[in-house]
Amino acid sequence: MGDRAICMTSSEKSDAEIVCLVDDDLSVLKSIERLLASDGLSVRRFNKPKEFLTYVQAHAVPLVVLDIWMEEMSGLEVLAQLGALSPSTRAIIITGREDPTVKLTAIQSGAVAFFTKPFDDHQFLNAVRGALALHPIE
Amino acid sequence: MSEREIIEKKSGEHRETANTSHEEQINLLQSITMEVAAASDLSSALEIVLRRVCEKTGWELGQAWVPNRDKTLLVCGPVWFCGEADLKHFRAVSEKSHFQPGVGLPGRVWKSKQPVWIEDVGDDPNFPRTKAAKAVGLKTAVGIPILTGDEVIAVIEFFLCQSRSENERLVNVIASVAAQLDLAIERRTAAEELSRTNDILRSVLSNMGDAVIVADKEGKFLVFNPMAERMFGTDALQMPSNEWSHRYGLYLPDKASLFPHDQLPLTRSIRGEEVNDVEIFVRHEKAPKGLWTRVNGRPLRDLNGELLGGVIVCRDITPIKEEEFFRAGQSRVLEMIASDAPLADVLTSLVLLMEGQAEGLRCSILLLNRDGKHVRHGAAPNLPEVYVKAVDGAPIGPRNGSCGTAMYTRKPVVVTDVMTDPLWADYRDLARISGLNACWSTPILSPQGEVLGSFAMYREEKRGPRPEEARLTEIATHIAGIAIDRLRQQETLRERDARISFAAESADLAFWVIYPEQNTAWMSDKGRVIYGFDSKLPLTRELLVSRVHPDERAAVRAAFDRACASHGIFESEHRLVLPYGKTRWVIVRGRCLEDEHGSLLELIGVTIDVSAQKESDLQLQIQREELAHLNRVALMGEMTASVAHELNQPLTAIANNASAARRFLERGNVDPLLLPQLLQDMVADSHRAGEVIRGIRALVRKDKSVVRSVLNLNAVIADTLRLVSSDVLLCESVVTTEMDHNLPQVEAAPVQIQQVLLNLIMNSLDAVEALPPAERRIIISTRSLNGESAEVSVRDFGTGLPKDRPDKVFDHFFSTKQTGMGMGLTIVRSIIETHGGKISAENAPDRGARFFFHLPAARGDSKSQAA
Repeated sequence: MGDRAICMTSSEKSDAEIVCLVDDDLSVLKSIERLLASDGLSVRRFNKPKEFLTYVQAHAVPLVVLDIWMEEMSGLEVLAQLGALSPSTRAIIITGREDPTVKLTAIQSGAVAFFTKPFDDHQFLNAVRGALALHPIE
Repeated sequence: MSEREIIEKKSGEHRETANTSHEEQINLLQSITMEVAAASDLSSALEIVLRRVCEKTGWELGQAWVPNRDKTLLVCGPVWFCGEADLKHFRAVSEKSHFQPGVGLPGRVWKSKQPVWIEDVGDDPNFPRTKAAKAVGLKTAVGIPILTGDEVIAVIEFFLCQSRSENERLVNVIASVAAQLDLAIERRTAAEELSRTNDILRSVLSNMGDAVIVADKEGKFLVFNPMAERMFGTDALQMPSNEWSHRYGLYLPDKASLFPHDQLPLTRSIRGEEVNDVEIFVRHEKAPKGLWTRVNGRPLRDLNGELLGGVIVCRDITPIKEEEFFRAGQSRVLEMIASDAPLADVLTSLVLLMEGQAEGLRCSILLLNRDGKHVRHGAAPNLPEVYVKAVDGAPIGPRNGSCGTAMYTRKPVVVTDVMTDPLWADYRDLARISGLNACWSTPILSPQGEVLGSFAMYREEKRGPRPEEARLTEIATHIAGIAIDRLRQQETLRERDARISFAAESADLAFWVIYPEQNTAWMSDKGRVIYGFDSKLPLTRELLVSRVHPDERAAVRAAFDRACASHGIFESEHRLVLPYGKTRWVIVRGRCLEDEHGSLLELIGVTIDVSAQKESDLQLQIQREELAHLNRVALMGEMTASVAHELNQPLTAIANNASAARRFLERGNVDPLLLPQLLQDMVADSHRAGEVIRGIRALVRKDKSVVRSVLNLNAVIADTLRLVSSDVLLCESVVTTEMDHNLPQVEAAPVQIQQVLLNLIMNSLDAVEALPPAERRIIISTRSLNGESAEVSVRDFGTGLPKDRPDKVFDHFFSTKQTGMGMGLTIVRSIIETHGGKISAENAPDRGARFFFHLPAARGDSKSQAA
């Protein structure tokens, strides 16, 4: 029920301030949403990458926080399609596994930041703010 | 007194005859009695009577008649004349006459046993000699019987040339004289009889084979017969009895100690003792080799029982004793054989025994070498050493001396002169060394007829064997055959024994026998070492059982009892606990032996020390577990993605939640509903992280990895797939499962089964890595095999296994991977096999590899699951 409360809060804001979150791990998904919420950011969660790809085609999405290793489709694949579907959408990659090849591919595909789980909340939030062109947290 | 003087005197006395006075008769009687007593035989006694009667009575002729041997006729005996008349004619007629009982004057007297008087023989009808009597003028005749008891031993008759009527007194005188004759003859006969008995006795004593010695109370020899002289080497020497043993060479059976004189049979019999069968060894100058005598003695007593002396009879028993000694000698040799004395000693004793049986005999025994072609020295104690050495090693053959030829031809060879015999052509120089001329050799054969050697007799004389020597040869070859054959058999046995005990020692084998009746046991030396028994400790069954580990002792005892009761077999694998606490693992096998009546005789068996094997088994198991553990650790390394991912997810969630909470609190606008949810999620995530770690720990831990439980393999597969999900993801592969929901449960160690599955899945992920992502598929399926076992198959669509031998992948160190140790599948197979299952690998019909294993259904599970 609390989850919905946060969404409701977020939905009051404009789409431009809403951050999309894609991770197949529900527990991780919820925790990142709470972290962003604690900074006053609104979040739209996606448990399945394909649902996000559908959403992004119909909505202006300034930023997506994308997990790499997902059962249905990898984050890199989502990123690749995102360039075509919504070139303005920025992407921050979070991954459970340090992998230089993956990182390189992600950066080349236009990812603005790359985090390995678990990550530092301050750096992560700054990266999100930066991507949204907001003032960084001091 | 000349014959003429006598005749004149008689003629002067004629007239006086009838008037012979009583005194004169007594005188006549006395003189005749004395003379007759001095007569040496019946004839001369009769002659004395005839002469004296004629002289005293004046009758002209007296003559005697005696019965012939068969007492059917009287024949003419001695005669006396004293007349001038020419009586010789009548005598001649009488000498030609003989009378049956009742015929003529002598016959009538013989038959009637009474005197007969005839006044004139010319008128008598029963007087066959009438004519001759008339011719010489004889008229009166009187016949008188001479009786011994009731028997007429002679008839005497007297003639007178005048006719005269019966004169009873005269008849009585003559009868009295005749009666004297009778007494004298009786006496004489007794003396003759005695003399004859003495003669017989003397003859017997002279000729008998036994020595007879009689001595009086003082030890003076009364009889010492020729055999005694021969036996004791001298004739009777009178000496004190305490010198007898020394003088006659009388020894105790030890042949060395002089016989104690007071114990000599003669001494004892003189003392009044009966002596039976005393053996004395006699040795003197004339019998240097000595002889054996067996002596019996008896005291001599007179009719009143008064002790007079003693008599001994000594029999020469030398041949009997020699045969006895010879037999004892044979027995000694046979005992030596039986007690396993060295063959050389046995054969030497045998040769010496044979040589002792005949003077001048020398013997030798040669052995045939095992090659069957050469001789070896056996025994020849009295042949020159040079000769013995020269013969040792010589070949056998058809012309190789006596022995070599005998062994070659398998027949006795008699050479009477080695200097000329062709068989000795090559050996004459040797023969010269020996100084012997005759050599007879006989092959020694085993009971199977195999030639073992030869027995030879040598002599200086050039001759062949005598029967007694042939007999010795027969005995010697027989005994030698036994000795050599036994040695050969023992050599064979020893070799076999040595091989068996070598095998037994090398194999850590103990042999044992339990004798239930006697409650004793025997055990080989190695067995005593295995069981930790002192080599001299007497063993019993209970002692053997006492070595068994206390946990297993009752079972072993029961197994023993069962085997004994059923006369069956005994088998057990158990531990022994030795003094000082050392433990051994042994396998014991035993079997009951019965006697011919089917009663239990003994339990024989063997104990194998398998400690080393057991230890290496344990070692192997430890190594296997170690390897399996290493494999699991290695798997963890390979599963880095999964491990990291599975842990990172909850940790990330926790960290984010915590950060969020801090920020909400800093800003002061805490949603009172949110915070508890947030905290609860954090708790859930930390649990989730713990689960992951527990799973990893379970896989990596050493202990409990072998603990088994009843499992559903479908569940184990699902758990395992969760564990590797991230790696599957990273690999961009797809794992599909096709589960049989009626799969029987199995009894297995879950960690090990997970290990098997992880290995197979990781291998499959590797196999599909090179394929396009769309083709990176893995199918895991299960199925029930008749409810009796559960099969799991892991199939990929990769490049497949080596075509020639798909199973090769299970071998040690086989790897297609650059980084692999090649141990994974070997461990997988060993895990499946220790679970009583089987694993195989094959190439799938289209492409890719298929691994499948099956495990037996848990006990009691097959039916319920199959139904």
